[in-house]
Amino acid sequence: MNDTLEKFNSLKSGQLEALDRAAGWSLNAAELAEVQRQFRRIGRRPTRGELETIAQTWSEHCKHKTFSGPVAYRAGRRVKKYKNLFKETIVKATKTLNRSWCLSVFKDNAGIVEFGKGGKWGLAFKAETHNHPCAVEPYGGAETGVGGVIRDILGVGLGAKPVLNTDTFCFGRLDRKYRLPKNALGPERIMRGVVEGVRDYGNRIGIPTAAGGIYFDDGYLLNPLVYVGCAGLIPADKIEKKVVPGDLIVSIGGRTGRDGIHGATFSSTNIDEETTSSAVQIGHAVNEKKTLDVLMRARDLGLYNAVTDCGAGGFSSAIGELGSETGAHVRLEKALLKDTRIEPWEIWVSESQERMILSVPKGKLKKLAAILDAENCEYCVLGEFPGDGRLLVTHGDEKVVDLPMAFLHGGVPNFEKPAVKRVVKVSARPPAPPEDPGKALEALLAHPNVCSRHSVITQYDHEVQGGTVGKPLQGRYGDGPGDAAVIWPQAATLDLRDYAGFAVGHGFAPAVGRIDPYQMALHSIDEAVRNLLCAGADVSRVAILDNFCAASPRDPRVMGDLVQAAEGCLAAALAYGAPFISGKDSFYNQSKDADGKEYPIPLSLLISATAPVEDVRRALTINFKEAGNPVYVAGVARRGMGGSVYNELSDTANNAVARLDMKAAVKLYAAVAGAMRAGCVAAAHDVSQGGLAVTLAEMAFSGGLGAELDLVPAAREKGLTVTELLFGEGPARLVLEIAKDRETEFLKYVSGLPVAEIGYVKEEPELSVSYGGGQLFSACIGRLKACWKKELI
Amino acid sequence: MKRPKAIILRGTATNCDIETFNSFRYVGAEPELVHINQLLAGEKEVLDYDIMAFPGGFSYGDDISAGKIYAVKMARLAGDFGKFIKGRRPVIGICNGFQILVKTGFLPANRADAQVSTLYTNDCGHFIAKWAKLKVNRRSPCIFTKGLPGEIELPIAHGEGKFIVEDKEELAAITGGELHALTYADNPNGSMLDIAGICSPSGTCFGLMPHPERNFFSWQNPGRPEADRGAEAAGFQFFKNAVDYVR
Repeated sequence: MNDTLEKFNSLKSGQLEALDRAAGWSLNAAELAEVQRQFRRIGRRPTRGELETIAQTWSEHCKHKTFSGPVAYRAGRRVKKYKNLFKETIVKATKTLNRSWCLSVFKDNAGIVEFGKGGKWGLAFKAETHNHPCAVEPYGGAETGVGGVIRDILGVGLGAKPVLNTDTFCFGRLDRKYRLPKNALGPERIMRGVVEGVRDYGNRIGIPTAAGGIYFDDGYLLNPLVYVGCAGLIPADKIEKKVVPGDLIVSIGGRTGRDGIHGATFSSTNIDEETTSSAVQIGHAVNEKKTLDVLMRARDLGLYNAVTDCGAGGFSSAIGELGSETGAHVRLEKALLKDTRIEPWEIWVSESQERMILSVPKGKLKKLAAILDAENCEYCVLGEFPGDGRLLVTHGDEKVVDLPMAFLHGGVPNFEKPAVKRVVKVSARPPAPPEDPGKALEALLAHPNVCSRHSVITQYDHEVQGGTVGKPLQGRYGDGPGDAAVIWPQAATLDLRDYAGFAVGHGFAPAVGRIDPYQMALHSIDEAVRNLLCAGADVSRVAILDNFCAASPRDPRVMGDLVQAAEGCLAAALAYGAPFISGKDSFYNQSKDADGKEYPIPLSLLISATAPVEDVRRALTINFKEAGNPVYVAGVARRGMGGSVYNELSDTANNAVARLDMKAAVKLYAAVAGAMRAGCVAAAHDVSQGGLAVTLAEMAFSGGLGAELDLVPAAREKGLTVTELLFGEGPARLVLEIAKDRETEFLKYVSGLPVAEIGYVKEEPELSVSYGGGQLFSACIGRLKACWKKELI
Repeated sequence: MKRPKAIILRGTATNCDIETFNSFRYVGAEPELVHINQLLAGEKEVLDYDIMAFPGGFSYGDDISAGKIYAVKMARLAGDFGKFIKGRRPVIGICNGFQILVKTGFLPANRADAQVSTLYTNDCGHFIAKWAKLKVNRRSPCIFTKGLPGEIELPIAHGEGKFIVEDKEELAAITGGELHALTYADNPNGSMLDIAGICSPSGTCFGLMPHPERNFFSWQNPGRPEADRGAEAAGFQFFKNAVDYVR
């Protein structure tokens, strides 16, 4: 390879591509040509270290070229051009809404919104994916995914204290019928590894893993998705960071080794049979905990001017980012190493975990070192930020990189990607009723996408820090499915008399996206907001994260789906008044099986949402509370079984997607929120997977109480069948239990809105649902719970 | 009124130190977070405090076995710790803190201060976090559980919580002295005699696997009983008792 490098400036395009493949850079032809052009201009050949730096910095993983690049979208004869798809959809929503409580958006390692009263705190929130690593090494991939997103929170502003971890997984069906390629891991093995990785890392570092979900679909058989999120509290006066010329570059935490070379570039291409797990890092939660403890103390003492985490690209991107204006002079021989057989350029790009880079004024190093020593946390001084705008990386006498910063951060060539709207055949014929609705409900409750997640949740320490007030498992027996986590960050505020908290909920609907990606985005944002509402959060102040995962963007249909979903995000964010504050995307989630058949994942958009809970003592749970309380259903049931779990169990041949009326939803939620604030609502639960019947069953068995219900009064679209009413998954609906002495007051809040009483909670442990006097089913809640409470792992 | 000084002992990966600190402060103590390294360096001395707490977490990654490395680090200061405990100043070890007290040999109390029991891997083989119903032994001399009802709820969160004592005499000393202050109503980990927490014969040194700081207020309970909103819950009493005892 060194011979080829010598001749870099005179290589032909084919030779450049061969070199790229051999080195594992994942640069495309245009990018390689641009690099060559630049070095010809400078008049010398690049070093290995320089090419590695460019490959990392320009990778899809770091630059998000696809989403923030130009796109030409064709729907039938209509063509719409985007210069920067991301800016014209996601960022546009945030800019248009221009909310004063958004303190930092899209520029730092996480988004930050105001938290609590008095402007003292900010809440930082970020979600990422670690899909490629988890496909090849599930345990290590999940561990380092968790570790990585925690470091994003540690590295936002001058450092936030993590108070919540979230995780959402997508796996192939455990009962799959396909033959796997010989080097692919089965979904059971992947799930076990991922769950154990999240458990061992999150538990050891002492951050509650309390929100998320698990979704099974054969689209994820070869490409599991692992979304990891983290939220943290930061003092409002610690949000700004600025490197001062003359500051020292200090690396704290883990050592540098040969694990995780080329993680960024590896994530920027499809996984194939040659993919190895050496691109995956090795995690060490205890090192990260030490780093966390040191950072919080050093931050409060003002011992550094800036901080960021070493993520993809390692030192090269962390130091490159911090020094983008000042330049940086790095002496790699100063780095603490795990392995002495490491090349200088490998030290520079290694993605070894648990490392944070600080910009430390010379006069404060001694004080910082004392804290590091007291916490047994290792560190090294790698060099300084000189102020000359030049990136100079040396190892002894060897020059590893010598480039102007501007070279790295400008000049990425980007070209227009074609996108096309897929044509999906939609049938809206009325679904046939099930033979026995009670049996259908039992089957839905036992479906892998509906059934209990307790066997996974109880392996996570979801209550460390003592602030998980809205729990993933809640209700009378501590085993009902919560809609959203409510966190009371006492471990950050240190104030047990301050009751301010926040809720975190999710929306995810890839099955809808297969039919209509635009509606998928709407449904997902609606579901996330509704989950927050059900926990009693202030839905007038929702902030959201977008995490897109998609197959290869070289396929115009994949790009077409992305364009529609991004447009949906824009529309829904505006309608709900909910700005995006951060996000991330992951492409190339596509693989071939043994027969050469391509397995692209369906477009998967995870919406993570957060909203304030003014007083955590008043947060709501889903379980029925008291016999005699009236039960209401809020929202209009809309026609369409498309994307429903029911369709998976017994295909109705109706794949129409229920339309979301966003204006009506926003109005409804505001009224319900008012009734909740007034204390009229005893329990709330959203209608989602499995439909209304599943929602009612979950509320009943989580509270150990039955209910006597008749669905005739429930609001619905004209022509809606009882099957759609019971099992349809149309958006913007929730079930409410009202405190019986507050019913009159409740009705004042919702007057004129589609909110209807359908019956009452009863002591007898039996869920009886009828329609106009004719009984649809009557089921023992113990039996329903037994169907639902499956051991996934 | 006097604010008793509480030392909240930390080390690498002690995770529940801050909520334990908050709990002690709420009940009127003056808590201070102190790293074991500060004790070893002579910067702080345990005998300057009135109450001692070993919070939960994964000290030193639970390497070797839970609490072991922390216990070894304490060995050099065994004299001071011994004086503190034998002087009947209140000591509470929660979860990893209990594991530390067991690995040091301070619990179950014995003449040699040697490790006579262990907290072993749960029968299910992995970490579990869930709420547990617990029986309070009202005949126990334990000062921390005074005034609690016969049955309470607290969350557990541990991988190594199975309490085992091989020696029959040691076990008899526990049951005979009513030192098993807390037992599980539905044993989640395989502990002998369903033991969830034990105290010293004086009742002042207490270790337990469940987390009282996580059921300090009623809104931390998964059932969130409507009627009790705003009230302090069972866990509160553990901390209050320590402060009342010192006063």
